[in-house]
Amino acid sequence: MSAESRGENPITALGRQVWGSIFRHGLPVSDKVAARTALTNFFLHVHPVRVKRSAIRVSYTLCLGGLSFFLFILLTISGLFLMFYYVPSTNQAYQNIQDLQFVATFGLLMRNLHRWAADAMVITVWLHMARVFYQGAYKPPREFNWAIGTLLLLTTLLLSFSGYLLPWDQLAIWAITVGTNMAKYAPIVGPFTHYVLLGGRTVSQGALIRFYVLHVIALPLVGFVLMVIHFWRVRKDGFTGGL
Amino acid sequence: MATLTGPTGPGTGAGAQGDGGRGDGARGAAVGSRPPVVRPGVSGPELAAAPLVVRRVEEEETVVTFPTLVWKEFLAGLGMFVLLLAVSVQINAPLLQIANPAITPNPAKAPWYFVGLQELLEHFPPVMAGVMFPTFVIVGMLVTPYLDRNPSRRPQDRKVAIVMFTVYLCLAVTFVLVGQLFRGLGFNWDWTQIFGHPGLQSPY
Repeated sequence: MSAESRGENPITALGRQVWGSIFRHGLPVSDKVAARTALTNFFLHVHPVRVKRSAIRVSYTLCLGGLSFFLFILLTISGLFLMFYYVPSTNQAYQNIQDLQFVATFGLLMRNLHRWAADAMVITVWLHMARVFYQGAYKPPREFNWAIGTLLLLTTLLLSFSGYLLPWDQLAIWAITVGTNMAKYAPIVGPFTHYVLLGGRTVSQGALIRFYVLHVIALPLVGFVLMVIHFWRVRKDGFTGGL
Repeated sequence: MATLTGPTGPGTGAGAQGDGGRGDGARGAAVGSRPPVVRPGVSGPELAAAPLVVRRVEEEETVVTFPTLVWKEFLAGLGMFVLLLAVSVQINAPLLQIANPAITPNPAKAPWYFVGLQELLEHFPPVMAGVMFPTFVIVGMLVTPYLDRNPSRRPQDRKVAIVMFTVYLCLAVTFVLVGQLFRGLGFNWDWTQIFGHPGLQSPY
């Protein structure tokens, strides 16, 4: 039945067509409609259509994995805004951070959000690991996904560590100096690793650009790929739940 | 009422259910909106050594992830966002003077999550604290699922694993807290960092 024969206003009919072409199934009024939406929606496809009730109980998962992912998204978005103002140069970086704090609209809020979300993500990822361990959820068939999770924890720490240098204040260079000095202690490869990491023997311009590139491109990409595999395996390996 | 089904698995008390015969409910469910297909006797390669789990029959019930799970995730994300906004409005991210390689702050500390390693350096030779311990922890975590041959997921069957992991967690948290809160000038022990000093101005 066409819109005209229903006596519908053509504008309303067009609106209905546009809306319907984007959202195919309407509100999830029944399990059947909801399932159809989940099956055809790109974003919802990260989840299986149905899952055991016990597997998604909040008291079981504590939402920690989901929260870690949420924080990663929040950090990507707030980090993007910070990148509009930040130049990774020892002559400009500190000034840019001050501009963000005192000049740019919502710059202070974005920097604060980025900083506290980063600390929160280190904590949620850590707690997620503890949760999974205590529930024995790493046991077969999920051994490999636990290993991926370990790498994600390392990536999170390295992301936070590389970001620590960027404000180029006293806190930044000395924390990185202390942190990277530990690399020197490795036998044989230690001094070389230290040199490659910093692009020199001290924390200076070479280190700043390296940490910047790692922080905004390399490590987020590594984290993204690992996350995709992690989520995929969560689906494919099946869910635990109900100890 | 916990109604228990399935064969009693070896090594556990009466009432434990072998997961192998049944498989994960969600696997069957993943292909569509149908309830999970129960195939007795049929198991994938991963189910041959499946963990022994006590399951309540009513918990095998499945739900649609959209909107049930998505709604929970939304609320959790919203709660976290509001919390972070509140913190961000109240507390500014730290920013000290511009970097100066000529002036070493005292104490110079690593970021808080690495301060535990810095604290270890106080007690062990650098090659142990800075290289061997972290490597051991990372490799240990990676191989944990392959070393742990205990198939059970029940806490009462996993006392050794749980105690070991808890000791590790407590040590890690303690070292971070000590390094962060109780180390003052020259990274020496300093109660006044936290508790202050009667009659003295804190140097910080």
